[in-house]
Amino acid sequence: MLLGTAPIAAATLAAFTLGAGPATDATLAATTVQDDDGPRTSWIVTADEIHTATGRVIEGGFVRIGDGKITAVGRGKIAGDFHVAAITPGLVECSSGLSVGQRSVEQDSESTPHVSVEEGLDLFSTRWERELRRGVTTACVAPDDRNVLGGLPVVVKTGGGEPTMDDRVIKTRVGVRAAMGSEPSAGNSPVFGRAFGLFNRRPTTRMGVEWVFRRTFYDALRAQQDDDFTFEGVETVNQVLAGELPLFIQAAPRQDLMTALGLKAEFSIPNVVIDAAAEVIPEADAVVASGASLIFAPLEFDGTASVEGAQLPWNAPAHMAELGVTFALSARSTGNADYSLAMQPAHAIRGGLDPVKALEAVTIVPARLLGVDDLVGSIEQGKHADLVFWSGAPFQYTSSVTGVMVGGELAVDPRHGEEL
Amino acid sequence: MLTLEPTRLKAAVRACALGAALVAAPTALAQTSDSLVIEAGRIVVDSQTEIEDGVLVIQGGRVAAVGKRGEVEVPWEAPVLGGPEFTAFPGFVEAYSARGMDRANERIDVAPFLDVRDSIDPINLYFQDCLRWGITTVNVQQGPDCVIGGRGRLVKPVGITIDEMTVRPGYGLVLSAAPKSGLSRATQAGTMREAFGELRRYLEGIVQDAKDGGDYARREALAQGRELEGEAAKGRPFQSTASWSIDGLEMIPRGAIDGKQGPLLDLVEGRVPAFFHCGGPHDVHLALETAKQNGFLERTTLVLQPECWKAASAIAEAGVPVIHTGPMVHTETDPVTGEETETFVLEVYRDKGIDFSLSSQNSSTSSLWYQAARAVGHGLTREQAIDAVTVAPARALGMADHLGTLGEGRLANVVLLSGDPLATTTMVEHVIVEGAHAYDRSKDPRNQILFEGADPLDNLRSDG
Repeated sequence: MLLGTAPIAAATLAAFTLGAGPATDATLAATTVQDDDGPRTSWIVTADEIHTATGRVIEGGFVRIGDGKITAVGRGKIAGDFHVAAITPGLVECSSGLSVGQRSVEQDSESTPHVSVEEGLDLFSTRWERELRRGVTTACVAPDDRNVLGGLPVVVKTGGGEPTMDDRVIKTRVGVRAAMGSEPSAGNSPVFGRAFGLFNRRPTTRMGVEWVFRRTFYDALRAQQDDDFTFEGVETVNQVLAGELPLFIQAAPRQDLMTALGLKAEFSIPNVVIDAAAEVIPEADAVVASGASLIFAPLEFDGTASVEGAQLPWNAPAHMAELGVTFALSARSTGNADYSLAMQPAHAIRGGLDPVKALEAVTIVPARLLGVDDLVGSIEQGKHADLVFWSGAPFQYTSSVTGVMVGGELAVDPRHGEEL
Repeated sequence: MLTLEPTRLKAAVRACALGAALVAAPTALAQTSDSLVIEAGRIVVDSQTEIEDGVLVIQGGRVAAVGKRGEVEVPWEAPVLGGPEFTAFPGFVEAYSARGMDRANERIDVAPFLDVRDSIDPINLYFQDCLRWGITTVNVQQGPDCVIGGRGRLVKPVGITIDEMTVRPGYGLVLSAAPKSGLSRATQAGTMREAFGELRRYLEGIVQDAKDGGDYARREALAQGRELEGEAAKGRPFQSTASWSIDGLEMIPRGAIDGKQGPLLDLVEGRVPAFFHCGGPHDVHLALETAKQNGFLERTTLVLQPECWKAASAIAEAGVPVIHTGPMVHTETDPVTGEETETFVLEVYRDKGIDFSLSSQNSSTSSLWYQAARAVGHGLTREQAIDAVTVAPARALGMADHLGTLGEGRLANVVLLSGDPLATTTMVEHVIVEGAHAYDRSKDPRNQILFEGADPLDNLRSDG
């Protein structure tokens, strides 16, 4: 929605303002009124650059927020509550990096596709605030990859409102989490040679991991035919087979990637997202042919992904962009601000990725992969007011996140510096 | 785009061509003249001086002249490197690194008799990566997992023997106020004090022995195969600002001093710089106290973990330079509320007037330009950030006259960048170390693997 000069904008804005507040100002003065007590959720913010992630960059514009939602975005010189150098949408972390640890996965069985993470969430943990400070406003929380089929991730907001399920969890049953490689077999050992226990079980190798996956899906197909046969999670697996639930499958090294794509083809799974994608360039043709989407493992300086030591060259995102593959960037959650999701697009740009695509890969694309793009992921009217404020052009090494807004609440105030 | 145009082929052929052939990186070109001219669209001489359309003349491994093209006299027979698309920048200086060796530390608590010369591996990937990131001088020291470590060395990341790499041998001794793994704070401090106590007792012992007419020190040295000739045969009185002293040390030939105590004596007499590790503010006080008591505070550089910002006042008062390691932003959790607060450490140092350098400590933080760029992001000015990776480390290493800027007389360590030094998309295209062309990105196979997705092993491709 492109607005012209300020006076015209005034009338248009008034018409677009959401919220039934009694004192809706028709002028664009910086006084915004709020109904309830509590943190302020209505603002006007101006910036030199607004990267909306809809394909447009607005130079010299404003964002108007009303009751925690974006009510208007446009170009024009107006008086706002404060001014920043640049605004991007709040970042969306869609990999499993924000796992809540081993307690997030039910390990009595390797295949628990029906177990949801939501009851295992600790919304009081300080990790959400830390992610929020780094610019991540929406995050996928998935079961740890200790199971082959770990269960159902959820999408949470890292701030805003109260730390309750109602305020923070915006989507459950996001998809089904699976993992290839050595992580699911890491805790297990063969029955012989050790005292018998829960973890003396399959899989103990990569081939075992693949077998568990295949067995589960064959059982689902069998259950479709045979009314007397069923197992825990069969409905969930059938939803994956029908394409109603996406399958997020971690597969970083080349052999795991091929296994994952092979399983996709074998069971004709319509919607597959490869997480921790790394060695995709040598198998670019297979990736393109499969139609899978990717979530890249975090780009590291030494070209090695932190998952399974897979090779992740800096130009991998740019190469995939050229081939038209849908991908998102990710950052396993980290304590160090310089290695957060806000830095990943800069690394990808360094590797040759177009800056517009780099922005989309941490905002609207992950939102789409998680199925929450109607609520977050871009600066558009009606979406959550999740914004990141930058000290300069976003995704440059010399720029930093100076402020973060989530649900219209100013979690990190750019006017005061890096802490609230 | 690389232009190498010897203007007189015969002179090039006659001149020694072997100079740069013995470099570790597989991308060196043969240097065929003692002079080298570098042209660049922009020359960053130091953080305050930039020259547009500039020319650098290198002779004998040093910068002979730098200025605008046309205003600088250029030797006509010198090869020319560079072009208008490049930005020339002083080679980055790594103020402290425990990499490039098989292991950073020994298991022994007090081991000043060790020398990194015995563990540096010239073909370690770390030195190759240094060139890739434009680091041309590295202070290799032992790591922090010790009480007192061994001697270090200033090296350049070119050469396939340690001698070829050496810029300054026997440089620096490492101490750690942060407890070695497995030791408690009390044991660490106790061991540290004991080491200097032992030095003192040893010196008093051999002096007493000499006064009693004995010859223990000299006989022991000869038995250990140490020759007492020249300087080593002379004695010198004890000279230190320590709170203790030894009378009569001139009676002992210096070469006869025990191999373990000798380096500590050098430290106490201020003849070798100290790199003192601190994990937190409490360590800083132990470090400063130890250095002051034993006479080497003047030559101490603190190597700090982020939490040490809390001791900034003590550091400023002591007037010692620091090398910052670890994340630039220190996060701490309130034990009662669980709230996290963040402090930008470098700003605290800057505001207290502390001379600080940045460092790139592990493979995922590699590259000083990234550290400098992030420092700007967090709030340092561009000049301060560039200083922190060039002149500040040079100063901390006592090499301010030789390194850190592209001024006349400096060692010719030049990095040719594809753009602004702190910009995201800038790459290191060429590196010149002491006048020799040591790195060319277009010929770097690892760069192709890292940046362009080239297959490291051909046999991974399936046959058609």
